[in-house]
Amino acid sequence: MNTALLQRELVTLLRQRRMVLMQCALAIGFALLVIIRWPTEPRISLSGSRAQEVFRLLSYGLLAALLLLLPVFPATSIVRERNSGTLALLLNTPLGPIRIFFGKLLAVLGVAGLILALSLPAAAACFAMSGASWKHSQVYLMLALTALQYASLGLLISTYATSADGAVRWTYGFVLLSSVLVLGPYQFLHGLGGNLAEGANWLRCASPFAALMSLLGAGDVAGGGMVDRTNVAARFVIISFALSLVYSLWAISRLNHSIFDLSRDAGRISDEQNLWVRLLRRFVFVVDPQRRSRPIGPLVNPVMVKEFRCRRFGRLHWLLRLVAVCALLSLGLTYAAVTGTVNWGVETIGGIMVLMQVALLVLFTPALAAGLISTERESGGWPLLQMTPMSPLRIVWGKLLSVILTLLLVLCATLPGYLVMIYIDPGMRFQVQRVVTCLLATAGFAMMLSAAIGSLFRRTAAATAAAYAALLLVCGAPLLIWLGRDAPFGHDTVERALVINPVAAALSVIRLPGFRDYDLIPGNWWFLGISSAVCLVVLLVQTHRISRPQ
Amino acid sequence: MSKENRVVVIEQLTKRYGTFTALDGLSLTIEAGQILGMIGPNGAGKTTCIKILVGLARPTGGTAQIGGADCVRDSRRIKHLVGYMPDRFGSYDNMRVHEYLDFFGAAFGISRPVRRQRIEEVMETTGTTYMRDKFVETLSHGMQQRVGIARTLLHNPQVLILDEPANGLDPQARIEMRDLLIRLARGGKTLIVTSHILPELSRICDQVAILTHGKLRALGTVDQISRMVSQERTIEVQFSNREQLARGAEIARSHLDPASEVVQVPAEGVVRFRTARPEAQLADLLAGLIQGGVKVSQFRELQTDLEEAFMSFANLGSGKSPPGAPAISLSATEKVVMQGSKR
Repeated sequence: MNTALLQRELVTLLRQRRMVLMQCALAIGFALLVIIRWPTEPRISLSGSRAQEVFRLLSYGLLAALLLLLPVFPATSIVRERNSGTLALLLNTPLGPIRIFFGKLLAVLGVAGLILALSLPAAAACFAMSGASWKHSQVYLMLALTALQYASLGLLISTYATSADGAVRWTYGFVLLSSVLVLGPYQFLHGLGGNLAEGANWLRCASPFAALMSLLGAGDVAGGGMVDRTNVAARFVIISFALSLVYSLWAISRLNHSIFDLSRDAGRISDEQNLWVRLLRRFVFVVDPQRRSRPIGPLVNPVMVKEFRCRRFGRLHWLLRLVAVCALLSLGLTYAAVTGTVNWGVETIGGIMVLMQVALLVLFTPALAAGLISTERESGGWPLLQMTPMSPLRIVWGKLLSVILTLLLVLCATLPGYLVMIYIDPGMRFQVQRVVTCLLATAGFAMMLSAAIGSLFRRTAAATAAAYAALLLVCGAPLLIWLGRDAPFGHDTVERALVINPVAAALSVIRLPGFRDYDLIPGNWWFLGISSAVCLVVLLVQTHRISRPQ
Repeated sequence: MSKENRVVVIEQLTKRYGTFTALDGLSLTIEAGQILGMIGPNGAGKTTCIKILVGLARPTGGTAQIGGADCVRDSRRIKHLVGYMPDRFGSYDNMRVHEYLDFFGAAFGISRPVRRQRIEEVMETTGTTYMRDKFVETLSHGMQQRVGIARTLLHNPQVLILDEPANGLDPQARIEMRDLLIRLARGGKTLIVTSHILPELSRICDQVAILTHGKLRALGTVDQISRMVSQERTIEVQFSNREQLARGAEIARSHLDPASEVVQVPAEGVVRFRTARPEAQLADLLAGLIQGGVKVSQFRELQTDLEEAFMSFANLGSGKSPPGAPAISLSATEKVVMQGSKR
C-alpha cells in the first residue's frame, strides 16, 4: 500500500472546512444524546433500559450519519481527479490501479472510522450504564461494513461520472435505493410464501437498516409484527461483503486508459438527413433529440428553456419516456389492485403508489433543483446572465419553472392510477384528493429546500450532496423513529416526529397499515408550507446577494 | 480627441477592498472604433476595471461612462451598450452552438425573427457558421472563444470588452482572433482587450494602457510608450554588399556619440546601433553612408518591443527600475495624445 497516496487523500479530506463542521456537529449531537437521555434522578434502573434506548438511538444516528455524510467523498474522489487532470498523472506513475483504488478507499474508510470513533465516548457511557454489552460491538462491525460497501459504490460511480455533481446524484440515488427502497417489496410480500416473497426477504437484507434493527433486537423492519426467523444480520454481511467486492473489482478494472477514452458525438443533426431517416427517427423517438430546435418563443422564460436544454435528461424525448414509465407503472399497480384486492387492498396499492412517487420526488428533486444557482456560479455562466437585461427574479423564476414543470409531469403521469382507484372504490375520492395535495406539497417543499440549500454553495457537487442530505434527513429520520413505534417511542412521540415528514403524511392519508393511526394533516401541510416559504426567502436573498455588484 | 467621438470615458476610477487598493485613480478615454489594449501583471487591476465598466463591480471613487451611460447608475443601459466576454467561457452542457446563441439572444429580449437573423450574422462574422450544430462543451478552446465573441455581438453592442480573448489559443487561432478583432473595429465597434500576449496586442491596438498595482503607468500607442521607456531608438542599416559592412560601421561610428555601440551582424549583412539623435542627424548619417560609397539597401528604425516596455513599467511599479530606464510620472503619461491608427 502506498502510504503517500493514502496520506494525501486523507489529509485532503480532513483539511476541508465541511469535515471540521461535520466532526463538531457529530460530537455535539452524540454528547447531547447522552445528556438528554442520562438519568437525572438519584435512583436508576439496573436493567439499563434507558441506556439501551440511548444506544439504539446512537446506532441509528451513526448509520444515518454514515449514509448521509460519507457517500459524497468517494463519489467525487475519482471524477474530480479525472477532470482536473491529476488522475492521468497518477495512472502514469508505477502505482497501478489497485493501489490507487485502495489508497482512495482507505482514505474514505478513515473518515468513516473517524465518524465511528466520535461516538465511542457515548457508546462507552451506555456500556457503563448497562445499555450495551460486548455483543453490541457487532453494531460497529456492521456499520464498518456499510461504510465499506458505500465507499466502494461511490468510487465505482465516480469512475463512470463525467461531473462531480452527477456522481453525487447517482451515488445518493443508489444509497437510497439500496438502504430504504429495498425494504418496500418485503413490506407488501412478507408472509405470502413463494419465490417472490423469498426474493423480497433477501432484498430487504441488503438494507443496513434491517440489519441494524435485527442486531439491536428492535423487531423486524417492515415485518408488520410477524415473527421471522431469518438471520438478517448474517445475510447483510454476506450481501454487503459480496457487493463491496464486486464494486471494488469493477472500479479497479475501470482505472486505466479507458476512463479517459470518452468520445462524444460533437453534434449530429437529423435535419440534414434524408426524409426516410427523419421519419424513422420521429417514429422511434416521437420527439427527435437530434432535430434542430426552434428559437425560444416570445412568451416563455428563456432561462426555463435553457435549463431544459442543458440537462442531460431534460430534453423532451426523455421527459416523455419518464412520463410514460410513470403512467404505465401506476396503471399496472392499479390493475394489480383490481385483480388482487383480496390480498392487498386498494389502500396497500395506494401506499405503493405514494411510496413510488415520493421516492421519485426525493430522487429527482435535489438533482434538478440543487444546482440551479451553483451550476451557473461554477461554470462561469452567472456573470453572463448578469450581463443580460433579465432581473435576478426572472432568472430564478425561469429556473424554478423548469423544475416545477418536470415534477408536475411526473406527478400527473400517475394520476390515471388514482382515477382508476376512485373508480374501484368511490369512497376513496377524498383520500386521493388529500394524497395528491400531499404530493404537491412534498414536491414544492423538496424543490424549495434543494434550491435554497444549493444556492448557498459555489460547487454543484457540494450543493447536491447537501440538498440530498437535508431532504433524506427530513424524510428518513422521522421514519427511523416510526420504526421504533412500540419501543422505545410512544404514539405521541412518533406522531410529533412524523408531522414533519411528507412521506408519512401521504401514507397516513391513504391509510396505509402502520400509518393510519397518526393524524398528520394539516400539521404536515403547515410545516411544508412555512418551510417552503422560508426556503424561498433564503433563495431570493442569496440570489440577490450574488447578483449585487461587488 | 473630440468630445463627441469619445465612447468610453473613465475619470479617477478607484476601487478599494478594505485597505487594498485594486484600482487607483484610473483616467482614460477611448474613441469610437478604436482598440484599447490593457496590459499589466496579475493583480494589476485590469479585471477590476473591466468589472466596473460592465457593472459587475461598484467603484469606490471616480466615474466611468460608456456611450454616455454611467456604469453605476445606468447599469441597465450599459448591458445593451456593452458586449462582455469574461476570461471564462461560461459553457452549458448539452447545448448546441445555435441553441446557446438563441438563449442569450432571447435573454436580451431580441424578437424571434430578428434573433434568427442576428445569429446567422454573428456566426458569419465570427466564422462559426460551420459549428452551429456542435455541442458547445465539445468545442476546442479557440472555437469557444469565437462563439464567446459571437455571443457578445448578438445584441449589437457599441463596445466590446474582452478579457484575455487570446489566452490559451494556438498560433493559428491567435492570428484568426487578431483578424477578427481588427474586422470588428473596422466595423465601428470599440474594443477593450486585456491580454498577456503582448505581441498580439502591439499588432492590433490603437492604444495601450499599462497598469501595475492598480495605477495607470502608461497610455498611448506602442511607439509612444516605447519612447517613454527609452529616448534611444534602434536603427538597422542593411547593406547589399556584405564586404562593405566594416566600412559602413566605421562611417556610422563617426556620426554617433563615441559611447554608442555599433554592432555588425555579418550573417544578416546589417549594422545596428542605438541612438537618441534626431531625425535630421540620422539623415546626415544616411547621406554620409551613401557618399562614402557604401550601397545601402535598407535604413530603418526597428519596431519597438512592447514586452520590453511592459517589463520596464512593471519593474517601475514594483520599485525595481531597470538601469537606464527613466522615471516616468503618471502626469507625463496622461499627456500622451493618441495619434493615427496602425490598421
